[in-house]
Amino acid sequence: MHFVLEQFLTGLSIASILLLIAMGLSIIYGTMGVINLAHGEFIMLGAYAAWALKTFAGISLLPSLILIFLATAAFGWVVERLLLRRLYNRPLDTILATWGIGVVMQQVVRLLAGGDLRYVEMPPSLSGGMTIFGVEVAGYRVFVFLFATALFVLTWWIINGTTFGLKLRAVVQDRSVSSAFGINPGRIYGLTFAYGAGLAGLAGAVVSPLKSVSPEMGTGYVVDAFMVVVLGGVQSLLGTVVSAFVLGQVSGVIAFLQNDTIAKALVLLLIVVLIRFRPQGLFVARVRT
Amino acid sequence: MTAPVTAKTARRGHFRNAELLGILLLAVGMFVLPEVLGSDYLLNKYGRYLVLSILATALALSWGYGGILNLGQALPFGLGSYCMAMALKLRTVPVHTGAEGLPDFMVWNNVEKLPWFWQPFYSMTFAIAAGILLPAALMAAVGWFMFRGRITGVFVAIITLAVLVVTNLLIIDQQQYTGGFNGITDLAQLEIGGIVFDAYSRHTYYLIAGTATVSLLVCYALTRTKFGLILQAIRDQENRVRYFGYDVARYKIAVLAVSAGIAGLAGMLYTVVMEFASPTFLGVQLSLSVVIWCAVGGRQSLAGAFLGAVIVTGMQGVLSESKTFLETWTLVMGALFVLVVLFMPKGLAGLLQSVIRRFRSSGPSPSDKKAADVAVSQRKEAA
Repeated sequence: MHFVLEQFLTGLSIASILLLIAMGLSIIYGTMGVINLAHGEFIMLGAYAAWALKTFAGISLLPSLILIFLATAAFGWVVERLLLRRLYNRPLDTILATWGIGVVMQQVVRLLAGGDLRYVEMPPSLSGGMTIFGVEVAGYRVFVFLFATALFVLTWWIINGTTFGLKLRAVVQDRSVSSAFGINPGRIYGLTFAYGAGLAGLAGAVVSPLKSVSPEMGTGYVVDAFMVVVLGGVQSLLGTVVSAFVLGQVSGVIAFLQNDTIAKALVLLLIVVLIRFRPQGLFVARVRT
Repeated sequence: MTAPVTAKTARRGHFRNAELLGILLLAVGMFVLPEVLGSDYLLNKYGRYLVLSILATALALSWGYGGILNLGQALPFGLGSYCMAMALKLRTVPVHTGAEGLPDFMVWNNVEKLPWFWQPFYSMTFAIAAGILLPAALMAAVGWFMFRGRITGVFVAIITLAVLVVTNLLIIDQQQYTGGFNGITDLAQLEIGGIVFDAYSRHTYYLIAGTATVSLLVCYALTRTKFGLILQAIRDQENRVRYFGYDVARYKIAVLAVSAGIAGLAGMLYTVVMEFASPTFLGVQLSLSVVIWCAVGGRQSLAGAFLGAVIVTGMQGVLSESKTFLETWTLVMGALFVLVVLFMPKGLAGLLQSVIRRFRSSGPSPSDKKAADVAVSQRKEAA
């Protein structure tokens, strides 16, 4: 029993990280239909921002989160305004363009901050451990879990409980009709992309104490985030949560049984098969026309 | 696609001729180049660029003509490269291959017997056939899997990329059979019919240039057949072609397989000219680079994609001599790529095409002018 619980908590910890990194991608992909291959680089940017704020300004991780969110969101907004909005009727080309943007971001960070690994200090208040039903858990992982949950609830409320969310849902359903009703779709898209980018930045900052920070760290994250979004279904935020949970548990179990590489390969193959038979994702009942 | 048929055909005929002209110019250029280049080192370098150009041409066939955005184009390339490397590894003198003819990395990994799938690679004929047919068969299978389920658009990109990553992970993981991270090194030289293909020799260069010319011509010929026409129709309006009763999936699978076969061929040549095979040959980095070359050169032009690969890799080669330049280069290339995708979706070939058209339309022929006008308004419509 103790072992099962331990395994479950490991899976839950992986799942909360997955949810964090996938939420921004899910919002952008689900509402704008833009496959943002630079998503990993926005995560990387958040992690570097956490490192830079700590190293140069002495601000510790928790208070700097709000700054990081604002900065990455602003950057995302600029990217959307200047580049992506020209590509909305060429969806395949957004893949290429966002990938190019990712390459540029990665390289700029490498030139500015150097290619070495960086480490972000864990906030001392969260570095202790605690015991849940007799299982030892790192305090920071509990924090990540709570943070991911809170962020999800906030996002859910923004989309389903605010005027902005109402407009967003209207634009997603029918762009031209909603603009006939006086909604400015360009503005909504810009803000949505900014919010998604901001979420990615937050995710990067929060996971940075757990992983090492390097310019190429985004590549791994974008793959993971994609798996979550594809499994959950592009239209459903709730699906993202369920699939993050499922994938977290599954990769926890596979990693325990097999080595990491095989686990990764298996999960990828699973996703490929899933796309083939249910391109709309597992947890979507209704597909947008 | 509502333009009158006459204007459309006029434009197409015009462009196709330019395409053939471009291919012939490239071929002449390739065969003249060794006379201009002094050293064997440069010959080897340009040989490498040309191999990558073949890869880009193969992608232009499936992407530009078939509309299939295959982000895993490095997969058939890498498989071809490994096939050749396995055959050449088995031909190295025993000193390099450990006890009883076992490749050295197998000895290090305590493999005692040559695995069964290595056995047939004692035959060079088998290896060459496998280097083309294996990638073609694999991509045909992937294509069958995707297109029978009517998977299109971004999902094709995701699936092809995922298949590439999985294969790459497996090759790195199965170190005892594949050499893992290091790949397969210390290879013998390819020898066919008494001719030894040293990586730094003219023989190898001409082998590559010859293969490149043939590949370009084969791709061009394919685009001129009915198969090629239907393919382009599928790219532009898949459903309409389906309503005409064509088996859309079959055409897409076929073009993916042909493209993979050519990529496998290029991969084999890459092993010969690089003298090793490595997991990076089927890495994500290379796979996405091929897409860049095609986009820069012009995805809908075979000659354009070919030239795009030479130009981009050539510039990379020049600038990567020093480390600072290499890093700035990646930055410049990323930015260039974004700009090309945004403002020049037809790449250099498209640019050239519109320059020629403008030049022509200022001439006296009224029919040409009309065709050009229609084409211009069409482009505006598309934009």
